[in-house]
Amino acid sequence: MAALVPPPVSPAAAEAIKPEKVDYMDLPTPIPYEEIHREALMSLKPEHFEGMRVDFTKGLNQRFSLSHSIIMGPTEIPSQSAETIKIPTAHYEFGANFIDPKLMLFGRVLTDGRVNARVKCDLSENLSMKANAQLTSEPHMSHGMVNFDYKGTDYRAQFQLGNGALLGASYIQSVTPNLSLGGEVFWAGQHRKSGLGYAARYNTDKMVAAGQVASTGMVALSYVQKVSEKVSLASDLMYNYMSRDVTASFGYDYILRQCRLRGKIDSNGCTSAFLEERLNMGLNFILSAEIDHMKKDYKFGFGLTVGE
Amino acid sequence: MSSKVVLKGKGKSTKGSKPSVDNSTSKLFKEWSTWTIKKAKVITHYGFIPLIIVIGMNSDPKPSISQLLSPV
Repeated sequence: MAALVPPPVSPAAAEAIKPEKVDYMDLPTPIPYEEIHREALMSLKPEHFEGMRVDFTKGLNQRFSLSHSIIMGPTEIPSQSAETIKIPTAHYEFGANFIDPKLMLFGRVLTDGRVNARVKCDLSENLSMKANAQLTSEPHMSHGMVNFDYKGTDYRAQFQLGNGALLGASYIQSVTPNLSLGGEVFWAGQHRKSGLGYAARYNTDKMVAAGQVASTGMVALSYVQKVSEKVSLASDLMYNYMSRDVTASFGYDYILRQCRLRGKIDSNGCTSAFLEERLNMGLNFILSAEIDHMKKDYKFGFGLTVGE
Repeated sequence: MSSKVVLKGKGKSTKGSKPSVDNSTSKLFKEWSTWTIKKAKVITHYGFIPLIIVIGMNSDPKPSISQLLSPV
């Protein structure tokens, strides 16, 4: 009798073994074109800083909050020679955020008068507008950009307009539930340059592989493997076929209960690490280190973030 | 000598006035759009953060002014 009854585990196992039939008319929406390397960028490029940084965010409302930041440390200025020149600076930055499901406003003003503004607005269910501007008191040093995004059932299209006659458009389409392909085209009026690019992204639950080629000579490939819930490893290759410049980097990302630790090592001889530790509810401690052996540039920073 | 220079100058101005009628609308449009963009940049530079604060203070539940100004 026992032999006649099939073991209960086999129907479930059979379902898991048999691949699900793909419904090509019902593919998931792909991620936006500019975020194609999102997982790799999150793991490999945290916001390193040098010096001390204290951020205090005060929420007045569920949607409205003010933030005060103090940043003290050496800032690099671009220099002609191979050495890096750093000037010690200190700023206070005041910011206001308003976050609503349909409208997000983000503004930051520094002590030297620079304003950093971001707006994200959902004009309709599928169409959204994002605008980004960095405004300074100096003439001709301000930048602004506006993006219009349209999200379709299994595609996304974006149109970009920036100052200095910058126009761009991109399109990305889901081809299978795991693979999405996209392309972009841009034109920079001030520099009289135009470019074309293609990108592909393959992701499963455990890994993400993305590749991007552009006519400006850039080839970027990235691979992120999620080893477990807490650990993921990422690697990245950037190759410029015009200037024959190659950079490869490999990094890890540990997301633990109380902290998040990210580290990477580069083929340019640069190793870096970034630690965010949650000391208490609403109190985070940040440590950042970036050691560049080739350029002999050592950057260490520490900071505290108070508030949600 | 000086009178010759004056005549030359006058001649240039009369020549210039004829074709300017045709592209005056495009020139006007360019000048007007440059003026608007400059004004919009100044307005955004000074007014964006006050705008966020006004929108935030009017959203509900309404926070009070003391909450806005106090450091805690």
